[in-house]
Amino acid sequence: MERDLVEYIVKSLVDEPEAVDIKVIEGEKSTILELKVAEADIGKVIGKNGRIAKAIRTILSASANAQSKRVILEILD
Amino acid sequence: MIYEFEGKTEREAIELAAAQLGLETDEFDVEILESLSGGLFKKGKVKIRVHTNFDSKIPEGSTEREALVAGATVQGEENIRQERKLLSEEERIPMDEFEEKIVAWTKAVVDTMGYPSKVSVLFREDKKLGLKVDTDNTSMIIGKKGKNIDALQLLANVYAGKLGREDVKVILDSENYRIRREESLVRIAYESAEQVRRTGRSILLEPMNPFERRIVHTTLNDIVDIETKSEGEGLYKQVRVMFRGRR
Repeated sequence: MERDLVEYIVKSLVDEPEAVDIKVIEGEKSTILELKVAEADIGKVIGKNGRIAKAIRTILSASANAQSKRVILEILD
Repeated sequence: MIYEFEGKTEREAIELAAAQLGLETDEFDVEILESLSGGLFKKGKVKIRVHTNFDSKIPEGSTEREALVAGATVQGEENIRQERKLLSEEERIPMDEFEEKIVAWTKAVVDTMGYPSKVSVLFREDKKLGLKVDTDNTSMIIGKKGKNIDALQLLANVYAGKLGREDVKVILDSENYRIRREESLVRIAYESAEQVRRTGRSILLEPMNPFERRIVHTTLNDIVDIETKSEGEGLYKQVRVMFRGRR
């Protein structure tokens, strides 16, 4: 599941894993994942020039489920 | 002095020549005699002629030389075999806590992506840890031009940093993708240098990451009449291969 994938990766990278919250919005053609992390951890999931966020999105779209349905990751602040 | 060597790639042949002659790669000139580039399923073959001004450690005399050249390939294969033996011995070394965590992390991510996997230590070097990812879906793990495995590797390195090991560079590989990619980049580099020399026009290569660009730059660094330069912005720049002419 995409949610588990994002949760596992993000929790391993942040300082406050208990503050990680992911909301799943199922659409017809796509799934939107809304990610919330502790304010101090936002930089850790985005990275310099968005490198980490981009890598997470790349892995997400390479996952088996994403082959049949588009998955969008939104990072809320 | 002139010697001939053969390898699966230019780089391999040159490295073999350097090892056999006991010289650095910039201490001799290389002439490519024959280059059969390998396809996806067949191995390439490259024959090179090496010109050197140095008194090399190889004794003179044509018969001895031929014997040595013939022996060169055998020794190359033996080196590979030795390396393999080394690897399996390395695999038997128990993993330390950090390695166990990185291996478990990588396996968990790939498994959760929906591809059941086996992750093991591929090599250990000073400040480097190589991991091998085996799944039934290698193409999905590698991605187009290594996009997926590069993303996975980047995150594995961020995680390593989180564990307090920023000093270690984690390298992920699957089905020897990194080695194959390196070989093909060396081939692309030589082929474009050849074309630039023939036409006198510069070539702009496809966008590459810093490691890939470095391979192209260093491959062509020793070729006197060819110059390389990176163009563009960001992580993925393009290398331009230019003709500089005889000096």
